[in-house]
Amino acid sequence: MGTPVTHAPAMESLTQDSEPRHGPVGPERPAALKRRVRRENLAGYLFMSPWIAGFLLLTAGPMAASLYFAFTDYNLFDAPKWIGLDNFSEMFGDPRWRHSVQVTLWYVVVGTPLKLLAALGVALLLAQKRRGQAFYRAAFYAPSLIGASVSVAIVWKAIFSDDAIVDRTQKIFGIDVGGWTGDPDLIIYSLVALTVWQFGAPMVIFLAGLKQVPRELYEAAEVDGAGTLRRFWNITLPMISPVLFFNVLLETIHSFQIFSSAYIVGGGAGGNACGPADGSMVYTCYLYVQGFENSRMGLASAMAWMLLVAVALVTAVLFWSQKRWVHYEEGAR
Amino acid sequence: MGTNRNVDRRTILKAAGATAATLGLASTTACGGDGGTSADGTVTIRYAWWGAEDRAQRINKTIELFHKKYPKIKVKTDFQPYTDFWKKFNTQASGGNPPDVFQNAIGFLRKYDAKNVLLDLSEQVKAGNLSMDGFRAGLEKFGEIDGKLLGVPVGSNSMALVIDKPVYTKAGVKPEQGWTWDDYHAAMQKIRDKAGRAGDTGPYNVMYLYDLYLRQNGKAFFTEDGLGFSEADLTDWWTKARKSVEEGLYADVKKVAQIKPKSAVTGELSGGEFTWDNFTIRYTSEGKSEYGLAPIPTTDGKKTGQYLGSLMLSASKRTEHPKEVAQFIDFMVHDPEVAKIMGYDRGVPATQAQFDAFEPTDEVNKAIAAYETSLVEAGVLEPITPHPAGADICEAAFLRIGEELGLGKRSVGDAVKQFFTESKTALAS
Repeated sequence: MGTPVTHAPAMESLTQDSEPRHGPVGPERPAALKRRVRRENLAGYLFMSPWIAGFLLLTAGPMAASLYFAFTDYNLFDAPKWIGLDNFSEMFGDPRWRHSVQVTLWYVVVGTPLKLLAALGVALLLAQKRRGQAFYRAAFYAPSLIGASVSVAIVWKAIFSDDAIVDRTQKIFGIDVGGWTGDPDLIIYSLVALTVWQFGAPMVIFLAGLKQVPRELYEAAEVDGAGTLRRFWNITLPMISPVLFFNVLLETIHSFQIFSSAYIVGGGAGGNACGPADGSMVYTCYLYVQGFENSRMGLASAMAWMLLVAVALVTAVLFWSQKRWVHYEEGAR
Repeated sequence: MGTNRNVDRRTILKAAGATAATLGLASTTACGGDGGTSADGTVTIRYAWWGAEDRAQRINKTIELFHKKYPKIKVKTDFQPYTDFWKKFNTQASGGNPPDVFQNAIGFLRKYDAKNVLLDLSEQVKAGNLSMDGFRAGLEKFGEIDGKLLGVPVGSNSMALVIDKPVYTKAGVKPEQGWTWDDYHAAMQKIRDKAGRAGDTGPYNVMYLYDLYLRQNGKAFFTEDGLGFSEADLTDWWTKARKSVEEGLYADVKKVAQIKPKSAVTGELSGGEFTWDNFTIRYTSEGKSEYGLAPIPTTDGKKTGQYLGSLMLSASKRTEHPKEVAQFIDFMVHDPEVAKIMGYDRGVPATQAQFDAFEPTDEVNKAIAAYETSLVEAGVLEPITPHPAGADICEAAFLRIGEELGLGKRSVGDAVKQFFTESKTALAS
């Protein structure tokens, strides 16, 4: 939007500099300028219109509708009935809902740090110059590209189900627990493994961060006799802490929103959509069940807004905490 | 130069406008042209059903046949597995765009009738587009609710005990019509002790079996608008179940969950399980052993509480072609050729004409036919009890909570309480 406005005076000066062959332009100038600005703005809005329409129709509209539905009893067929805060009180009183909150929190608290650890670890390895570096980077990044897809979740299910490769390998070592995906206590670990495997995106960001750390700091530290660990703790970590913060924030938000992998690994087609005995019933999974299986769109909307509030709170806490551990270089803030 | 730019911009704007107009036009045609009638009078109807590949192949063959007889009616099909089917249907129906004709079951009749989705087919029967004659064992009444004909049965089935025959023989157990729950319990012990296997998978979370047990005792799972049993009834049923799981009479629930989608019987975790008789086909293709059908245990030695269940075809109230839909349903339930193609895939054919047309040659289908004949001869069949709106959600809850009970994740009291809470919510909405 800013571009046309700044662009117009520049063009005006261009006309001014050219020879006065077009006759007297002086008196018309303010009106012509206004018209041109208006026209250019119009063009700008027109080119933006697909996005604006998309935003209004696909994001803002549904959000407003869902906020309204959150306070209604709505089964898709009958008109929504206003019930005030009943959906929220039902939610808090529902043991299945509380269970889904527990499962999700567990998944976030265990999965996110593991994923970031893997991302940072591999980024540290790949930051050093070695032959075939580009290949390794691409190879480690690939799972992130395809990771969110349904097909990977299906493959994951095939890997961790009964008598599949993981189960058979375990048996070689004398551990016989059967398939992970069918075990109400183990299925969540297979989901954590899936998210850790997709560490590529934060890894790339870590790599970029590591490149930014000035070499002189390491050289100076080395002269002072600092070892590898010491250099990592006292130079690398503080220097990449803004990047670390960014990754923590992004991955935490992502983890809260886990759905497709849980839905497919946990059952998807047929039977309980949330794993055996609700073992992999993450928050969005229960939201889906309430909305689409039980036709309770009002309750599902209320759950969605609850999730939004929770994620906003967690984000706020993370931002507040960054003062204590994120180190910005002077003037970079 | 400045002028030039403006011209360019104008051209671009025009082009953009034209594109927008075209897009708008295209979307209008896409929405508006859904009447399903083309210039030469050919009508297109959409037919949706649940099932898997095997059923898809059979159904496609029956539709080819239908196209030959009714060249002016085109049928477009759509299928999903059971649970996905209903999610999609729900969304389509609420958006006012349900399929014209679709597979249906008793648990959904009242639900979608209450939501004004189902077409009353009795008009079409009167108009002569659909015949309700020639159905077996009173099945023509199956899809009737409050005087409206909301579904036409395509095939009937009944609950049965599918057994691993060699296991039963090894244990020396011979189930007979009229055996009691005590006999059954003794049989479970024999199978565990002599065949070294759990006797059953988990009868306590099969809603349709518990319904039979309740019916044997003068109750039923559902009344027209609620549950037909008390918390004490369920506590009793689940307490016995819990004990049997602990004693190894019923299969290890965790193992059963782990080997899904394979069944516990074919996975050799249990000697048998209660299910619909026409599902026997599945066991034979899945497992290595020889499988058979045994009768339902009774309380008094006579009454099994059984009825014929059925898959139905229903039509959408919003269909623009009720006549063609009725003709299609009529063809599907009466044409003998259809029965030869479908076999017992959706249960034993509902009409006598189709029943006579398909003579099973393989062991499994023969056993199913024999089982259903034996039910008719034994005179145990009764009318079905109603399924209120929300019955489908109650069934899902019964299955899930029963599984959690078996896993030891819930106490009996807790499980019963949870089931009643969830059911009340489901049946109220």
